[in-house]
Amino acid sequence: MNTLRLIYVFFRVSVLNETAYRVNFFIQLFQSLLELGTALAGLAVIFSYTHALGGWRPDEMLALVGVYFLVGGIISLVVQPGMSALIDSVRDGTLDFTLTKPEDAQLLVSIQRVAIWSLLDLLMGLGVLGTALVRLGQSIGAAEAAEFIGMLLAGAVIVYSFWLILASLSFWLVRVENLLEIFQSMYQAGRWPVSLYPGWLRFALTFIVPVAFATSVPAEALTGRLDILTLLGALGLALLLFAVARLVWRLGLRRYSGASA
Amino acid sequence: MSLLLELRGLLKLYAQQFKTTFASMVQYRASLLIWMISQVLEPLVYLIVWSTVSNGSGGSVGGYTARGFAAYYLALMLVNQVTYTWIMWEYEYRVRQGLLSAALLKPVHPIHSDISDNLSSKLITLPILLVIVGILSLIFHPAAATAWWAVLAFLPALALAFLVRFLIEWTLALAAFWTTRVNAINQVYFILMLFLAGQIAPLTLFPRWLQIVADILPFRWMLGFPVELLLGRLTPVQALEGLGAQAAWLILSLVLIRSIWRAGVRVYSAVGA
Amino acid sequence: MPEPAIHLHELCKTYRVPERESGMGAAVKSLFHRRMQDIKAVDGLTFDVAPGEIVGFLGPNGAGKTTTLKMLSGLLHPTGGEGRVLGAIPWQRERAFLRQITLVMGQRNQLVWDIPAADSFELNRAIYRLPAADFRRTLDELTGLLELGPLLKKPVRNLSLGERMKCEIAAALLHRPKVVFLDEPTIGLDVTMQRRIRSFIAEYNRRSGATVLLTSHYMADVEALCKRVIVIHHGRLLFDGDLSALVQKFTAHKTIVVQLEDCQADLHTYGEVLNCEDGRFTLKVPKARTARVTERLLADLPVIDLLVEDPPIEEVIDTVFTQEAG
Repeated sequence: MNTLRLIYVFFRVSVLNETAYRVNFFIQLFQSLLELGTALAGLAVIFSYTHALGGWRPDEMLALVGVYFLVGGIISLVVQPGMSALIDSVRDGTLDFTLTKPEDAQLLVSIQRVAIWSLLDLLMGLGVLGTALVRLGQSIGAAEAAEFIGMLLAGAVIVYSFWLILASLSFWLVRVENLLEIFQSMYQAGRWPVSLYPGWLRFALTFIVPVAFATSVPAEALTGRLDILTLLGALGLALLLFAVARLVWRLGLRRYSGASA
Repeated sequence: MSLLLELRGLLKLYAQQFKTTFASMVQYRASLLIWMISQVLEPLVYLIVWSTVSNGSGGSVGGYTARGFAAYYLALMLVNQVTYTWIMWEYEYRVRQGLLSAALLKPVHPIHSDISDNLSSKLITLPILLVIVGILSLIFHPAAATAWWAVLAFLPALALAFLVRFLIEWTLALAAFWTTRVNAINQVYFILMLFLAGQIAPLTLFPRWLQIVADILPFRWMLGFPVELLLGRLTPVQALEGLGAQAAWLILSLVLIRSIWRAGVRVYSAVGA
Repeated sequence: MPEPAIHLHELCKTYRVPERESGMGAAVKSLFHRRMQDIKAVDGLTFDVAPGEIVGFLGPNGAGKTTTLKMLSGLLHPTGGEGRVLGAIPWQRERAFLRQITLVMGQRNQLVWDIPAADSFELNRAIYRLPAADFRRTLDELTGLLELGPLLKKPVRNLSLGERMKCEIAAALLHRPKVVFLDEPTIGLDVTMQRRIRSFIAEYNRRSGATVLLTSHYMADVEALCKRVIVIHHGRLLFDGDLSALVQKFTAHKTIVVQLEDCQADLHTYGEVLNCEDGRFTLKVPKARTARVTERLLADLPVIDLLVEDPPIEEVIDTVFTQEAG
């Protein structure tokens, strides 16, 4: 319960502060709209030549774009800012302040920065997703909806854990920012169903940089494409990766504090 | 005579700058590699998407088969690799960190060190890209019906594309003198590139009116045109027209760069950085 | 004797660092096999600090001060020995312990750069779970003592270094810690601001009874705040006791300042002349001979004024370290 309160306070502070810079809001709105427009225009070009892309109809692709923006919004809202700040604080030693606080340090570093205007991406993603759902009409059942929410959460956990693992490498390595960049640039591949990609690329996007679980899998759940194996795999991976991330973080802290493992 | 001396001095400068920036690029090889991943991934994704469309609609879309798309996007990767710059981020960083004052004090125009920076980074990345394109060729089997004259004409077209793109992006980078919100400008620019330079799809797949817009603006001449030329998709007349358009943009951007640079420096020094 | 607030016994910290040799060959070799070197940052420190004490923790750069502070605040694990702060083992990092201590580092910020200090305070309130009334009261008190009023609403990046430090200190004290570790809290500040911070620390200690362990390069800080000093060098304890005793122990000299009517006098037969201007001479004299030299000066010369002083504390510390090194 205290965790939620803490998240709320961190969130509120960034909201209060960012609302002072209204220009940033409009700039972010402009950029988000451009990005969304680009994605939709791209789809329009493609669907002017075909009815379905690898079996995905336009409205289903729209749902995928919605998930893409939704998850991308979550990443740029908390995950990316927090993890970059973590890397910086390991390098300049300000992590010390976090560690002298009587609260779980992983929680504190994870919520320390909130890029509040990224909520726009998130809301836009929800809007697109809603539109897609309405157009898909009756084909969404309660089971799909539950699966979708479950997969979305699993995807978020997987992405967060993955980022935390990479950022924790800064306890051992310098210049970890580069690794984070790889995720950012590979994330764009998640705007399309991974089933389109050849096996090696699908493998890379699933297991090396888990983009597939963040976007494709939730969209598959929504459009009734998800098989039980992928569903269980996603849940299992979410749990496993979260545990591994916690472990790597702990080991990193041990190294930072010089406790012999 | 003095022009000759000037030129020799410049050549020496390039040689020297080349050595130092090459060394620093080796230092930043990890960043370069990551830059390359994003440079390769985007065309690769569109290659796959369009191949899927092509296979799903009877093997051909707008004159491109799956293998035709493969050829188009692999060539696009190469041309993009030769012509890209990252000067727009670089300038934003320089202005923000106040690094520009030192550059302005030097008796040489700062564009020269940027050019040699850009070229030396490509010296490292181009061989890697060639290997990547080679591997992707084995996977996607590109096919194109090209002609010897087109391959010959491709070389000047590529050189012109590099020059025009470099000058235009360098000019655009100067926006950092006027505003701190360069990111928004860059984003608009890259979206225009995406659609009008032929990145999202070959321009012939677009409606006629959009193709006309693309012909008027510089983007196609910086990327799409050399690709189409290399793949033998243009007639000799179209090729000549294209080279002419590139030359026109080269002259225009040279004029533009001079006046905007002067105005930018005036703004910069007025702020007193 | 009450239980000490801070207790160290034979505390050690050894870092293993890869040995770096110069040259290309060595660089290549180090890729495969790294020669490791042990660096003893803290080498068997033992001391106690009583509750409510302000202790100056001195030593040259690299003496092990920061390493010790980090171990005592739970950031570093020692490689040997024991340490207790408020009865707890710091590096177990129990929440109850962390709630009672604080660490201020003059060279690093905990306040978030882009937001006003008041908001960072709000975050700390949530982290330390401070009841609203207590928080309000402490904040008002700190605001009064440090004169933070107009600073709290400005983004931290717009504050001057000194203003930022005042806010840093306030943020660190909101939860009313019983033990305060201050690592160079006045570094880089101008003299006025140093004095303000100093008097605040003294006042805070008086009001709250908190134990303070302070490192500083500015001897004025130490002179003003600390009756007791602990001096370490190469990770080992050199001196632990009163500041005045330190001067007694480590200086073999006193300085005699004499004002003469005669500006041309040559005093080098009396002692080493450190300075002379307008008939005002500063002499360095072995401690044992101070009385004799003074006597002779008064007898031989037209003395207007004469002053016997201990050398400045910086100089004392300097001699301590150079003696150690030599």
